[in-house]
Amino acid sequence: MSSSIKALHKKLINKEVSCVDLVQEKLDQLKSSDYNTDNYILNDYAINLAKKVDTKIANGETINLLEGIPFGVKDVYLLQGTYSSASSDFLKKYKSPYTATAIQKLLDAGAIPIVKENCDSFGHGSSSENTVFGAVKNALDPSKVAGGSSGGSAVNVAKNFTTFSIGGDTGGSIRQPAGYNNVYGLKPTYGKISRFGLMAYASSTDCVGPIAQSLEDTQIVLNTMAGKDYRDQTSFSSEPVSDESITSALAKGTKIGYYKNFIESEAISPEIKAGFENMIAKLKAEGMEIIPLDFFDANMLVSTYYALAMAETASNLARLDGTNYGVRETGKDLKEGYSITRSENFTAETKRRIVGGNQVLSQGHSEEIYNKAQQLRQQISHHFDEDFKKVAIVLSPVTPNPVPKIGNNLKDPMTMYLSDAYTVGFSLGGLPTLTAPLAMETGVQITAAKKQEAILFTCANFLKQVL
Amino acid sequence: MGKEMTLDVLSSIKGAEASQVIEDLFEVIKKGHLTDGNNNIAHTINAVTIDDLRADEVINSSEIERNLIIENFPNEKNNFLVVPKVIEE
Repeated sequence: MSSSIKALHKKLINKEVSCVDLVQEKLDQLKSSDYNTDNYILNDYAINLAKKVDTKIANGETINLLEGIPFGVKDVYLLQGTYSSASSDFLKKYKSPYTATAIQKLLDAGAIPIVKENCDSFGHGSSSENTVFGAVKNALDPSKVAGGSSGGSAVNVAKNFTTFSIGGDTGGSIRQPAGYNNVYGLKPTYGKISRFGLMAYASSTDCVGPIAQSLEDTQIVLNTMAGKDYRDQTSFSSEPVSDESITSALAKGTKIGYYKNFIESEAISPEIKAGFENMIAKLKAEGMEIIPLDFFDANMLVSTYYALAMAETASNLARLDGTNYGVRETGKDLKEGYSITRSENFTAETKRRIVGGNQVLSQGHSEEIYNKAQQLRQQISHHFDEDFKKVAIVLSPVTPNPVPKIGNNLKDPMTMYLSDAYTVGFSLGGLPTLTAPLAMETGVQITAAKKQEAILFTCANFLKQVL
Repeated sequence: MGKEMTLDVLSSIKGAEASQVIEDLFEVIKKGHLTDGNNNIAHTINAVTIDDLRADEVINSSEIERNLIIENFPNEKNNFLVVPKVIEE
Protein backbone atom coordinates (compact mmCIF):
# COMPACT_ATOMS: atom_id res chain seq x y z
CA MET A 1 0.00 0.00 0.00
CA SER A 2 1.76 3.19 -1.15
CA SER A 3 -0.79 5.57 0.31
CA SER A 4 0.28 6.78 3.76
CA ILE A 5 -3.23 8.12 4.30
CA LYS A 6 -4.83 4.72 3.66
CA ALA A 7 -2.22 2.94 5.80
CA LEU A 8 -2.77 5.29 8.74
CA HIS A 9 -6.55 5.09 8.33
CA LYS A 10 -6.33 1.32 8.58
CA LYS A 11 -4.19 1.55 11.72
CA LEU A 12 -6.66 3.95 13.32
CA ILE A 13 -9.77 1.87 12.65
CA ASN A 14 -7.97 -1.33 13.72
CA LYS A 15 -6.95 0.48 16.93
CA GLU A 16 -3.28 -0.29 16.29
CA VAL A 17 -2.57 3.34 17.18
CA SER A 18 -4.67 6.04 18.82
CA CYS A 19 -5.14 9.31 16.99
CA VAL A 20 -3.69 11.21 19.96
CA ASP A 21 -0.53 9.07 19.88
CA LEU A 22 -0.24 9.47 16.12
CA VAL A 23 -0.58 13.25 16.29
CA GLN A 24 1.66 13.53 19.35
CA GLU A 25 4.42 11.58 17.60
CA LYS A 26 4.36 14.04 14.69
CA LEU A 27 4.27 17.05 17.03
CA ASP A 28 7.28 15.70 18.92
CA GLN A 29 9.19 15.16 15.69
CA LEU A 30 8.49 18.74 14.66
CA LYS A 31 9.53 20.10 18.06
CA SER A 32 12.85 18.24 18.08
CA SER A 33 13.65 18.96 14.41
CA ASP A 34 16.28 21.53 13.42
CA TYR A 35 15.18 21.78 9.79
CA ASN A 36 13.34 25.09 10.50
CA THR A 37 10.15 23.81 8.90
CA ASP A 38 7.72 25.13 11.48
CA ASN A 39 6.62 28.70 12.20
CA TYR A 40 3.92 27.62 14.67
CA ILE A 41 3.28 24.13 16.02
CA LEU A 42 -0.45 23.70 16.69
CA ASN A 43 -0.06 21.48 19.74
CA ASP A 44 -3.30 22.00 21.72
CA TYR A 45 -5.38 22.62 18.60
CA ALA A 46 -4.27 19.30 17.07
CA ILE A 47 -4.51 17.22 20.25
CA ASN A 48 -8.08 18.44 20.89
CA LEU A 49 -9.12 17.32 17.41
CA ALA A 50 -7.31 14.00 17.84
CA LYS A 51 -9.18 13.29 21.08
CA LYS A 52 -12.49 13.72 19.24
CA VAL A 53 -11.42 11.19 16.62
CA ASP A 54 -10.42 8.69 19.32
CA THR A 55 -13.81 9.16 20.98
CA LYS A 56 -15.58 8.39 17.70
CA ILE A 57 -13.50 5.25 17.18
CA ALA A 58 -14.09 4.15 20.79
CA ASN A 59 -17.84 4.62 20.26
CA GLY A 60 -17.74 2.40 17.20
CA GLU A 61 -18.52 5.23 14.80
CA THR A 62 -17.25 5.18 11.23
CA ILE A 63 -14.48 7.63 10.43
CA ASN A 64 -13.67 9.15 7.05
CA LEU A 65 -10.48 8.31 5.17
CA LEU A 66 -8.86 11.63 6.13
CA GLU A 67 -10.22 11.68 9.67
CA GLY A 68 -7.37 11.94 12.17
CA ILE A 69 -4.66 12.29 9.51
CA PRO A 70 -2.08 14.94 10.53
CA PHE A 71 -1.14 17.50 7.90
CA GLY A 72 0.85 20.70 7.49
CA VAL A 73 -0.24 24.10 6.24
CA LYS A 74 2.06 26.60 4.55
CA ASP A 75 2.03 29.73 6.68
CA VAL A 76 0.24 31.79 4.06
CA TYR A 77 -3.15 30.15 4.66
CA LEU A 78 -5.62 31.38 7.23
CA LEU A 79 -6.75 28.94 9.90
CA GLN A 80 -9.16 30.58 12.30
CA GLY A 81 -7.66 31.47 15.68
CA THR A 82 -4.08 30.51 14.75
CA TYR A 83 -1.17 32.74 13.77
CA SER A 84 -0.61 33.31 10.05
CA SER A 85 2.60 35.24 9.51
CA ALA A 86 3.53 34.66 5.85
CA SER A 87 7.00 34.20 7.41
CA SER A 88 7.19 37.97 7.95
CA ASP A 89 7.79 40.26 10.92
CA PHE A 90 4.80 42.23 9.69
CA LEU A 91 2.28 39.52 10.54
CA LYS A 92 4.15 37.56 13.20
CA LYS A 93 1.35 38.15 15.72
CA TYR A 94 -1.55 38.18 13.26
CA LYS A 95 -4.32 35.72 14.11
CA SER A 96 -6.47 34.35 11.31
CA PRO A 97 -10.03 35.62 11.70
CA TYR A 98 -11.39 32.88 9.40
CA THR A 99 -10.25 29.72 7.63
CA ALA A 100 -9.22 29.31 3.99
CA THR A 101 -11.72 27.29 1.96
CA ALA A 102 -9.18 24.61 0.96
CA ILE A 103 -8.13 24.09 4.59
CA GLN A 104 -11.75 24.12 5.77
CA LYS A 105 -12.55 21.31 3.34
CA LEU A 106 -9.77 19.23 4.86
CA LEU A 107 -11.02 20.05 8.37
CA ASP A 108 -14.53 19.05 7.31
CA ALA A 109 -13.10 15.73 6.11
CA GLY A 110 -11.54 15.27 9.56
CA ALA A 111 -7.87 15.87 8.76
CA ILE A 112 -5.87 17.52 11.56
CA PRO A 113 -3.59 20.53 10.93
CA ILE A 114 -0.55 20.25 13.18
CA VAL A 115 1.82 22.96 11.94
CA LYS A 116 1.97 26.30 10.13
CA GLU A 117 4.97 25.81 7.86
CA ASN A 118 7.96 28.00 7.13
CA CYS A 119 8.21 29.42 3.62
CA ASP A 120 9.60 32.38 1.73
CA SER A 121 7.98 35.52 3.06
CA PHE A 122 4.69 36.15 1.18
CA GLY A 123 5.85 33.46 -1.28
CA HIS A 124 8.69 35.69 -2.46
CA GLY A 125 11.51 33.27 -3.11
CA SER A 126 12.68 29.98 -4.53
CA SER A 127 14.71 28.65 -1.62
CA SER A 128 12.83 29.30 1.66
CA GLU A 129 15.69 31.50 2.82
CA ASN A 130 13.66 34.72 2.57
CA THR A 131 11.98 34.11 5.92
CA VAL A 132 12.24 35.63 9.38
CA PHE A 133 12.07 32.14 10.92
CA GLY A 134 15.46 30.99 9.55
CA ALA A 135 16.29 29.21 6.30
CA VAL A 136 14.58 25.84 5.86
CA LYS A 137 17.08 23.00 5.40
CA ASN A 138 16.78 20.42 2.66
CA ALA A 139 15.44 17.04 3.80
CA LEU A 140 18.12 15.08 1.93
CA ASP A 141 21.12 17.34 2.63
CA PRO A 142 20.72 20.00 5.35
CA SER A 143 23.54 22.09 3.88
CA LYS A 144 21.33 22.69 0.83
CA VAL A 145 18.19 24.80 0.41
CA ALA A 146 14.71 23.34 0.76
CA GLY A 147 13.48 25.11 -2.35
CA GLY A 148 10.66 27.55 -2.26
CA SER A 149 8.53 29.10 -1.54
CA SER A 150 6.75 26.07 0.03
CA GLY A 151 10.04 24.72 1.43
CA GLY A 152 8.84 23.91 4.96
CA SER A 153 5.90 21.98 3.54
CA ALA A 154 8.03 19.85 1.21
CA VAL A 155 10.61 19.07 3.91
CA ASN A 156 7.92 18.12 6.44
CA VAL A 157 6.45 15.62 3.97
CA ALA A 158 9.87 14.26 3.00
CA LYS A 159 10.84 13.79 6.68
CA ASN A 160 7.40 12.30 7.42
CA PHE A 161 6.70 15.01 10.01
CA THR A 162 3.36 15.50 8.21
CA THR A 163 1.42 12.92 6.20
CA PHE A 164 0.82 15.59 3.57
CA SER A 165 1.11 19.34 3.40
CA ILE A 166 -0.69 22.12 1.59
CA GLY A 167 1.60 24.40 -0.38
CA GLY A 168 0.95 27.37 -2.60
CA ASP A 169 2.33 27.71 -6.14
CA THR A 170 2.55 31.03 -7.99
CA GLY A 171 5.55 30.38 -10.27
CA GLY A 172 6.77 26.96 -9.11
CA SER A 173 6.51 27.19 -5.32
CA ILE A 174 5.05 23.70 -4.90
CA ARG A 175 6.75 21.92 -7.81
CA GLN A 176 10.32 23.10 -7.17
CA PRO A 177 10.56 22.33 -3.42
CA ALA A 178 8.82 18.99 -4.08
CA GLY A 179 11.56 18.23 -6.62
CA TYR A 180 14.30 19.42 -4.26
CA ASN A 181 13.08 17.10 -1.49
CA ASN A 182 12.11 14.05 -3.51
CA VAL A 183 8.33 14.11 -3.01
CA TYR A 184 5.26 14.72 -5.19
CA GLY A 185 3.89 18.23 -5.60
CA LEU A 186 0.91 19.26 -7.70
CA LYS A 187 -0.02 22.67 -9.05
CA PRO A 188 -3.57 22.11 -10.33
CA THR A 189 -5.25 24.00 -13.14
CA TYR A 190 -5.73 27.62 -12.07
CA GLY A 191 -9.12 27.81 -10.35
CA LYS A 192 -9.54 24.11 -9.56
CA ILE A 193 -9.05 24.85 -5.84
CA SER A 194 -10.37 28.02 -4.22
CA ARG A 195 -7.80 30.67 -3.27
CA PHE A 196 -10.06 32.17 -0.59
CA GLY A 197 -8.01 32.53 2.58
CA LEU A 198 -4.66 32.23 0.82
CA MET A 199 -2.64 35.43 1.27
CA ALA A 200 -2.39 36.74 -2.27
CA TYR A 201 0.99 37.02 -3.97
CA ALA A 202 0.13 37.19 -7.69
CA SER A 203 -3.60 36.57 -7.89
CA SER A 204 -3.66 35.60 -11.56
CA THR A 205 -1.29 32.65 -11.06
CA ASP A 206 -1.68 31.75 -7.35
CA CYS A 207 -2.70 28.09 -6.93
CA VAL A 208 -3.37 25.86 -3.92
CA GLY A 209 -1.98 22.34 -4.11
CA PRO A 210 -0.92 19.21 -2.22
CA ILE A 211 2.56 17.92 -1.44
CA ALA A 212 2.69 14.22 -0.55
CA GLN A 213 4.85 11.10 -0.61
CA SER A 214 2.68 9.22 -3.09
CA LEU A 215 0.45 9.75 -6.09
CA GLU A 216 -2.44 8.19 -4.17
CA ASP A 217 -2.18 10.71 -1.33
CA THR A 218 -1.82 13.57 -3.80
CA GLN A 219 -5.03 12.43 -5.51
CA ILE A 220 -6.99 12.06 -2.25
CA VAL A 221 -6.04 15.52 -1.04
CA LEU A 222 -6.61 17.14 -4.45
CA ASN A 223 -10.11 15.65 -4.71
CA THR A 224 -10.95 16.83 -1.19
CA MET A 225 -9.94 20.45 -1.80
CA ALA A 226 -11.17 20.92 -5.39
CA GLY A 227 -14.41 22.61 -6.35
CA LYS A 228 -16.20 25.85 -7.02
CA ASP A 229 -16.30 28.29 -4.13
CA TYR A 230 -18.74 31.14 -3.69
CA ARG A 231 -15.87 33.20 -2.25
CA ASP A 232 -13.50 32.76 -5.21
CA GLN A 233 -15.15 33.56 -8.49
CA THR A 234 -12.22 32.21 -10.52
CA SER A 235 -12.82 28.73 -9.07
CA PHE A 236 -14.72 26.08 -11.03
CA SER A 237 -16.44 22.74 -10.50
CA SER A 238 -14.56 19.67 -11.64
CA GLU A 239 -14.78 15.91 -11.69
CA PRO A 240 -12.61 14.11 -9.14
CA VAL A 241 -9.48 12.37 -10.40
CA SER A 242 -10.43 8.68 -10.34
CA ASP A 243 -8.48 5.80 -8.80
CA GLU A 244 -8.25 4.32 -12.30
CA SER A 245 -6.36 7.42 -13.45
CA ILE A 246 -3.46 6.22 -11.35
CA THR A 247 -3.63 2.50 -12.06
CA SER A 248 -4.49 2.51 -15.78
CA ALA A 249 -1.66 2.09 -18.26
CA LEU A 250 -0.43 4.94 -20.42
CA ALA A 251 -1.45 3.86 -23.91
CA LYS A 252 1.35 2.87 -26.27
CA GLY A 253 1.88 5.58 -28.83
CA THR A 254 0.83 8.38 -26.46
CA LYS A 255 2.20 11.62 -27.84
CA ILE A 256 4.64 13.12 -25.35
CA GLY A 257 6.24 16.48 -26.02
CA TYR A 258 9.23 18.28 -24.60
CA TYR A 259 10.64 21.74 -25.14
CA LYS A 260 13.85 21.51 -27.14
CA ASN A 261 15.25 24.81 -25.90
CA PHE A 262 14.95 23.71 -22.26
CA ILE A 263 17.17 20.71 -22.94
CA GLU A 264 19.53 22.27 -25.49
CA SER A 265 20.13 25.32 -23.29
CA GLU A 266 23.67 26.08 -22.15
CA ALA A 267 22.24 26.83 -18.70
CA ILE A 268 21.15 23.25 -17.99
CA SER A 269 23.50 21.12 -15.91
CA PRO A 270 24.99 18.02 -17.60
CA GLU A 271 23.45 15.73 -14.94
CA ILE A 272 19.92 17.08 -15.38
CA LYS A 273 20.28 16.94 -19.16
CA ALA A 274 21.53 13.35 -19.08
CA GLY A 275 18.72 12.31 -16.73
CA PHE A 276 16.13 13.87 -19.02
CA GLU A 277 17.56 12.30 -22.19
CA ASN A 278 17.74 8.91 -20.51
CA MET A 279 14.06 9.22 -19.57
CA ILE A 280 13.10 10.15 -23.14
CA ALA A 281 15.06 7.16 -24.49
CA LYS A 282 13.19 4.81 -22.16
CA LEU A 283 9.83 6.27 -23.16
CA LYS A 284 10.70 5.74 -26.82
CA ALA A 285 11.66 2.15 -26.02
CA GLU A 286 8.25 1.72 -24.37
CA GLY A 287 6.57 2.72 -27.62
CA MET A 288 5.66 6.31 -26.80
CA GLU A 289 5.75 8.91 -29.56
CA ILE A 290 8.17 11.64 -28.56
CA ILE A 291 7.62 15.06 -30.14
CA PRO A 292 10.19 17.85 -29.68
CA LEU A 293 8.50 21.26 -29.47
CA ASP A 294 9.63 24.85 -29.86
CA PHE A 295 9.03 27.24 -27.00
CA PHE A 296 9.80 30.69 -25.69
CA ASP A 297 13.27 31.57 -24.53
CA ALA A 298 13.71 30.87 -20.79
CA ASN A 299 14.83 34.45 -20.09
CA MET A 300 11.66 35.74 -21.71
CA LEU A 301 9.48 33.43 -19.61
CA VAL A 302 11.20 34.48 -16.40
CA SER A 303 11.04 38.19 -17.25
CA THR A 304 7.38 38.07 -18.27
CA TYR A 305 6.44 36.16 -15.15
CA TYR A 306 8.36 38.39 -12.77
CA ALA A 307 7.14 41.64 -14.31
CA LEU A 308 3.52 40.53 -13.88
CA ALA A 309 3.99 38.83 -10.50
CA MET A 310 5.76 41.87 -9.08
CA ALA A 311 3.04 44.20 -10.38
CA GLU A 312 0.40 42.03 -8.73
CA THR A 313 2.24 41.69 -5.44
CA ALA A 314 2.84 45.44 -5.25
CA SER A 315 -0.94 45.87 -5.49
CA ASN A 316 -1.81 43.00 -3.16
CA LEU A 317 0.61 44.05 -0.41
CA ALA A 318 -0.40 47.72 -0.56
CA ARG A 319 -3.04 46.81 2.03
CA LEU A 320 -0.32 46.09 4.58
CA ASP A 321 0.25 49.51 6.10
CA GLY A 322 -0.27 48.86 9.81
CA THR A 323 -3.71 50.47 9.92
CA ASN A 324 -6.05 47.55 10.53
CA TYR A 325 -3.77 44.65 11.49
CA GLY A 326 -0.14 43.65 11.68
CA VAL A 327 2.62 45.80 13.08
CA ARG A 328 2.12 49.57 13.25
CA GLU A 329 5.06 51.94 13.64
CA THR A 330 4.35 55.61 14.22
CA GLY A 331 5.89 58.53 12.38
CA LYS A 332 5.51 62.31 12.39
CA ASP A 333 2.52 61.97 10.07
CA LEU A 334 0.40 59.21 8.53
CA LYS A 335 2.54 58.80 5.40
CA GLU A 336 5.72 58.51 7.38
CA GLY A 337 4.01 55.98 9.66
CA TYR A 338 3.15 53.84 6.62
CA SER A 339 6.65 54.18 5.30
CA ILE A 340 8.41 53.23 8.55
CA THR A 341 6.00 50.34 9.10
CA ARG A 342 6.61 48.87 5.64
CA SER A 343 10.34 49.60 5.54
CA GLU A 344 11.02 47.91 8.86
CA ASN A 345 8.73 44.90 8.58
CA PHE A 346 9.10 43.58 5.03
CA THR A 347 12.19 41.56 4.11
CA ALA A 348 14.67 42.88 1.55
CA GLU A 349 13.39 40.51 -1.17
CA THR A 350 9.76 41.44 -0.53
CA LYS A 351 10.66 45.12 -0.75
CA ARG A 352 12.57 44.46 -3.99
CA ARG A 353 9.45 42.87 -5.49
CA ILE A 354 7.08 45.59 -4.29
CA VAL A 355 9.34 48.32 -5.65
CA GLY A 356 9.84 46.36 -8.89
CA GLY A 357 6.07 46.01 -9.22
CA ASN A 358 5.50 49.72 -8.75
CA GLN A 359 8.24 50.34 -11.30
CA VAL A 360 6.34 48.14 -13.78
CA LEU A 361 3.08 49.95 -13.12
CA SER A 362 4.45 53.48 -13.05
CA GLN A 363 3.96 56.01 -15.78
CA GLY A 364 6.01 55.26 -18.88
CA HIS A 365 6.75 51.69 -17.90
CA SER A 366 3.17 50.48 -17.81
CA GLU A 367 2.85 50.47 -21.62
CA GLU A 368 6.38 49.41 -22.37
CA ILE A 369 6.64 46.70 -19.72
CA TYR A 370 3.33 45.76 -18.12
CA ASN A 371 1.11 45.79 -21.18
CA LYS A 372 3.77 44.09 -23.27
CA ALA A 373 4.23 41.43 -20.60
CA GLN A 374 0.47 40.80 -20.68
CA GLN A 375 0.64 40.42 -24.46
CA LEU A 376 3.55 38.02 -24.14
CA ARG A 377 1.56 36.05 -21.61
CA GLN A 378 -1.26 35.74 -24.09
CA GLN A 379 1.16 34.46 -26.68
CA ILE A 380 2.53 31.91 -24.25
CA SER A 381 -0.97 30.76 -23.43
CA HIS A 382 -1.88 30.52 -27.12
CA HIS A 383 1.31 28.55 -27.72
CA PHE A 384 0.23 26.02 -25.07
CA ASP A 385 -3.20 25.69 -26.72
CA GLU A 386 -1.50 24.76 -29.99
CA ASP A 387 1.01 22.42 -28.33
CA PHE A 388 -1.68 20.43 -26.57
CA LYS A 389 -3.39 19.83 -29.91
CA LYS A 390 -0.22 17.94 -30.89
CA VAL A 391 0.64 16.15 -27.64
CA ALA A 392 -1.14 14.79 -24.56
CA ILE A 393 1.66 15.56 -22.13
CA VAL A 394 4.71 17.79 -21.95
CA LEU A 395 7.67 16.60 -19.88
CA SER A 396 10.39 18.88 -18.59
CA PRO A 397 12.94 19.09 -15.82
CA VAL A 398 11.71 21.00 -12.76
CA THR A 399 14.87 23.11 -12.64
CA PRO A 400 17.88 23.55 -14.93
CA ASN A 401 20.34 22.92 -12.11
CA PRO A 402 20.78 20.71 -9.05
CA VAL A 403 19.81 21.87 -5.54
CA PRO A 404 21.99 24.83 -4.43
CA LYS A 405 23.70 25.29 -1.07
CA ILE A 406 22.11 27.53 1.56
CA GLY A 407 23.39 31.09 1.38
CA ASN A 408 23.82 31.64 -2.35
CA ASN A 409 20.34 32.57 -3.59
CA LEU A 410 19.62 35.81 -1.74
CA LYS A 411 23.03 37.19 -2.66
CA ASP A 412 22.20 36.90 -6.34
CA PRO A 413 18.48 37.49 -7.03
CA MET A 414 18.85 37.03 -10.79
CA THR A 415 20.21 33.51 -10.33
CA MET A 416 17.24 32.77 -8.08
CA TYR A 417 14.79 34.14 -10.65
CA LEU A 418 16.40 32.12 -13.45
CA SER A 419 16.12 28.93 -11.38
CA ASP A 420 12.36 29.25 -12.00
CA ALA A 421 12.83 29.17 -15.78
CA TYR A 422 11.15 25.77 -16.28
CA THR A 423 8.18 26.31 -13.95
CA VAL A 424 6.93 29.87 -14.55
CA GLY A 425 5.71 29.31 -18.12
CA PHE A 426 3.16 26.71 -17.00
CA SER A 427 1.99 29.10 -14.28
CA LEU A 428 1.40 31.85 -16.85
CA GLY A 429 -0.65 29.35 -18.86
CA GLY A 430 -2.67 28.25 -15.81
CA LEU A 431 -1.89 24.61 -16.65
CA PRO A 432 -1.91 21.61 -14.31
CA THR A 433 1.62 20.44 -13.58
CA LEU A 434 2.87 17.65 -11.34
CA THR A 435 6.37 17.19 -9.99
CA ALA A 436 7.27 13.52 -9.62
CA PRO A 437 10.51 12.61 -7.80
CA LEU A 438 11.85 10.65 -10.75
CA ALA A 439 14.48 10.71 -13.52
CA MET A 440 16.48 13.76 -12.35
CA GLU A 441 17.87 15.07 -9.06
CA THR A 442 15.18 17.75 -8.91
CA GLY A 443 12.44 15.59 -10.41
CA VAL A 444 10.39 15.60 -13.58
CA GLN A 445 7.60 18.02 -14.35
CA ILE A 446 4.54 16.55 -16.08
CA THR A 447 2.18 19.05 -17.67
CA ALA A 448 -1.15 18.66 -19.45
CA ALA A 449 -3.82 20.90 -20.96
CA LYS A 450 -6.12 22.78 -18.58
CA LYS A 451 -8.39 20.56 -16.47
CA GLN A 452 -6.57 17.38 -17.58
CA GLU A 453 -5.16 16.46 -14.16
CA ALA A 454 -6.05 12.78 -14.61
CA ILE A 455 -3.41 12.12 -17.26
CA LEU A 456 -0.72 13.61 -15.01
CA PHE A 457 -1.36 10.79 -12.54
CA THR A 458 -1.43 8.13 -15.28
CA CYS A 459 1.83 9.40 -16.72
CA ALA A 460 3.55 9.70 -13.32
CA ASN A 461 2.59 6.15 -12.41
CA PHE A 462 3.87 4.92 -15.77
CA LEU A 463 7.18 6.77 -15.32
CA LYS A 464 7.51 5.31 -11.82
CA GLN A 465 7.28 1.83 -13.31
CA VAL A 466 9.62 2.25 -16.26
CA LEU A 467 12.38 4.44 -14.79
CA MET B 1 -2.59 65.16 -11.08
CA GLY B 2 0.47 65.17 -13.24
CA LYS B 3 2.73 65.27 -10.21
CA GLU B 4 5.39 62.61 -10.63
CA MET B 5 5.45 60.12 -7.77
CA THR B 6 8.76 58.57 -6.92
CA LEU B 7 9.15 54.87 -6.21
CA ASP B 8 9.61 55.37 -2.47
CA VAL B 9 6.28 57.25 -2.33
CA LEU B 10 4.49 54.74 -4.57
CA SER B 11 5.78 51.84 -2.49
CA SER B 12 5.71 53.55 0.95
CA ILE B 13 9.21 52.17 1.44
CA LYS B 14 12.02 54.45 2.54
CA GLY B 15 14.82 54.91 0.02
CA ALA B 16 13.13 52.69 -2.59
CA GLU B 17 14.76 53.00 -5.97
CA ALA B 18 15.05 51.03 -9.19
CA SER B 19 17.42 48.08 -8.91
CA GLN B 20 19.65 46.73 -11.65
CA VAL B 21 18.23 43.22 -11.41
CA ILE B 22 14.71 44.52 -12.11
CA GLU B 23 16.00 46.69 -14.95
CA ASP B 24 17.61 43.59 -16.45
CA LEU B 25 14.28 41.74 -16.39
CA PHE B 26 12.60 44.71 -18.08
CA GLU B 27 15.22 44.87 -20.82
CA VAL B 28 14.33 41.33 -21.86
CA ILE B 29 10.66 42.28 -22.17
CA LYS B 30 11.45 45.41 -24.16
CA LYS B 31 13.36 43.29 -26.67
CA GLY B 32 10.62 40.63 -26.84
CA HIS B 33 8.91 40.09 -30.19
CA LEU B 34 5.15 39.99 -30.34
CA THR B 35 4.61 37.37 -33.02
CA ASP B 36 0.87 36.98 -32.62
CA GLY B 37 -1.34 39.54 -34.36
CA ASN B 38 -3.83 39.39 -31.50
CA ASN B 39 -2.43 41.71 -28.87
CA ASN B 40 -5.71 42.50 -27.20
CA ILE B 41 -5.03 42.42 -23.47
CA ALA B 42 -8.67 43.05 -22.68
CA HIS B 43 -9.10 39.29 -23.02
CA THR B 44 -7.38 38.74 -19.70
CA ILE B 45 -6.39 35.24 -18.73
CA ASN B 46 -7.50 33.89 -15.36
CA ALA B 47 -10.07 36.57 -14.68
CA VAL B 48 -13.83 36.53 -14.37
CA THR B 49 -15.74 38.28 -17.13
CA ILE B 50 -18.12 41.05 -16.09
CA ASP B 51 -21.12 38.98 -17.20
CA ASP B 52 -20.11 36.21 -14.80
CA LEU B 53 -19.63 38.40 -11.75
CA ARG B 54 -22.14 37.77 -9.01
CA ALA B 55 -23.80 40.68 -7.28
CA ASP B 56 -22.23 41.98 -4.10
CA GLU B 57 -23.78 40.63 -0.96
CA VAL B 58 -23.38 41.58 2.67
CA ILE B 59 -22.60 38.60 4.89
CA ASN B 60 -22.22 39.29 8.58
CA SER B 61 -19.10 37.96 10.26
CA SER B 62 -19.45 35.48 13.07
CA GLU B 63 -18.79 36.65 16.62
CA ILE B 64 -15.52 34.74 16.80
CA GLU B 65 -14.40 36.37 13.54
CA ARG B 66 -15.28 39.85 14.83
CA ASN B 67 -13.40 39.20 18.05
CA LEU B 68 -10.31 38.04 16.16
CA ILE B 69 -10.44 41.12 13.94
CA ILE B 70 -10.51 43.29 17.08
CA GLU B 71 -7.69 41.24 18.60
CA ASN B 72 -5.62 42.03 15.51
CA PHE B 73 -6.06 45.81 15.81
CA PRO B 74 -2.61 47.38 16.14
CA ASN B 75 -4.13 49.94 18.52
CA GLU B 76 -7.51 49.47 20.18
CA LYS B 77 -9.69 51.38 22.62
CA ASN B 78 -13.04 50.11 23.92
CA ASN B 79 -13.23 47.59 21.07
CA PHE B 80 -12.74 50.32 18.47
CA LEU B 81 -9.79 50.61 16.11
CA VAL B 82 -7.62 53.60 16.91
CA VAL B 83 -6.50 55.00 13.57
CA PRO B 84 -3.31 56.96 13.02
CA LYS B 85 -3.55 60.69 12.38
CA VAL B 86 -5.60 61.55 9.30
CA ILE B 87 -3.92 63.10 6.28
CA GLU B 88 -3.86 66.85 6.71
CA GLU B 89 -2.77 67.79 3.19
